[in-house]
Formats: sequence, structure tokens, C-alpha cells
Amino acid sequence: MTTLAIDDDLWSAVGDPIRRQVLDLLLADGVGTSTTLSTRLPVTRQAVAKHLAVLDGVGLVRSTTAGREKQYRVDEAQFARAVAQLNAVGHRWDARLHRIKRLAEAIQRERD
Amino acid sequence: MELGTLEREIHVEATPEIVFEVVSRPEHIREWWSDDASVDPTPGAFGEVVWGDRVKVAALVVVDVDPPRRFSFRWTAPDGEAPVPGNSLLVTFDLEPSAGGTRLRLTESGFRETGWEAAVLEEAFRDHERGWDLFLPRLSSYAPSVVGQR
Repeated sequence: MTTLAIDDDLWSAVGDPIRRQVLDLLLADGVGTSTTLSTRLPVTRQAVAKHLAVLDGVGLVRSTTAGREKQYRVDEAQFARAVAQLNAVGHRWDARLHRIKRLAEAIQRERD
Repeated sequence: MELGTLEREIHVEATPEIVFEVVSRPEHIREWWSDDASVDPTPGAFGEVVWGDRVKVAALVVVDVDPPRRFSFRWTAPDGEAPVPGNSLLVTFDLEPSAGGTRLRLTESGFRETGWEAAVLEEAFRDHERGWDLFLPRLSSYAPSVVGQR
């Protein structure tokens, strides 16, 4: 069940609104540091650093050291996994809607 | 990037009245979604969808009932909490007459507000991956019995 455990961590990492904003900013800008991100978020640089560490822990971002501060980027592959999980919810609605369609059409045919 | 709302649309060759019944009445819901369902199509009414021998139970609360145009409900609230805005997903079916049938639009929103835990809950209430192999034989014996009850 290793995969499931990883997924739980992944989901809880993106379950926090500030961390989702961090991801949004990194996706938009391509790269960011605790300092640059904190100027655009309602939290301190230290708080941003902690959020980045959580995202780093589940592989959603990767860091490189440039000068005094770590630079962060979104890990596209891991991010795609998170998005794919939400898309899986969509696929299930597709299946439900197809069943709704078949049921309704069968009832319609019976009544015609 | 907008991950907060899921939208789907499908054309159904049946009148909006029939489609409305199928999406809102428990005897139909338990055919297209869960193994069992109790839903009173009245705004504010509490209901539930059930899988297996109550192995999984999801509470829901009906929000909008406007036959044959709209049916909506909230679900996936945390255990013990009533589904309200902010802690649950809102599922809305919008129905419009179209080309002799119905254009059925589904939206499920609230993923962003609730944190993505709601998506995990949705995942937990999956339909046992019921495929067409299982579903179609069931449908052919089911549809005539529905009409027979009328």
C-alpha cells in the first residue's frame, strides 16, 4: 500500500490553501524563493519556507541552491500525478453520466 | 489553472422530465451510482448513498429541486458534519431541452474550498469500477420494471 501512503501525503500537502497558492505562483513564474514568494503571500518568509519544505517532501517542488537562498520549481511529473487524481474523479462522473443516459433513454423508449 | 470545479455535459435521448427523475429519485440513483440510496427530492432534506452492506455511506443534503430543470445536492462532508458550503462538494445537474432530448450538464464544485481532501473522499466513494459488462445486462432487466411500476 506504499502508493496509497504516498498519495495521502501528496493530497495533504496540497490540502493547505497557502501551499496551493505557492504552487500557483511557482507554476505562473517558473521559479521562486521563500523571499520572493513571501512578498506575494499573506505570510512570513519563514512560513513560506516551511510550506516549501512540505511540498519538497512529497516531491511537488524541487530546489536548487543559488546564492544564499534555495530556488524552487514545480516538479511537473509529480504535479501531473496530483492533477491526474482529480481527473480520475472526472472519469467516474463520466461513467455515472453514461449510466444516467442509458437509464433515461431506456425509460423513454418504453414510454414511446 | 482551475482545479476547483469539474464540469461534464452529455446529450440524452429522453425528455427532461424523465432525465430529472433518473438523476433525483433514489430508485434510479441506486442504479447509476450507489448500491442503495435514500434521497427525498426536497430542498434541505438529508439523504445518503450506500455501498455494499453499509461498507461505505455518504451523507448528502438536497440543495435545489426545480423539476425538470435543476437538481443539486452536497456530499463528502467530514464524518459527523452536515454538508454545508466550505466542507463539502456541490453536485448540480442542469437540464435543458435539446434536439428532442435533453442536454444534461453536471458540475461538481468545492474542491478548492474544501481542500483537496474532498477529492480523496470522492475517490473513496468510487462506483466499484462498475463497467459496461456488469451494467448493461442489469439495465436491460431493469428498465422495463421501472415502466411497469407506473
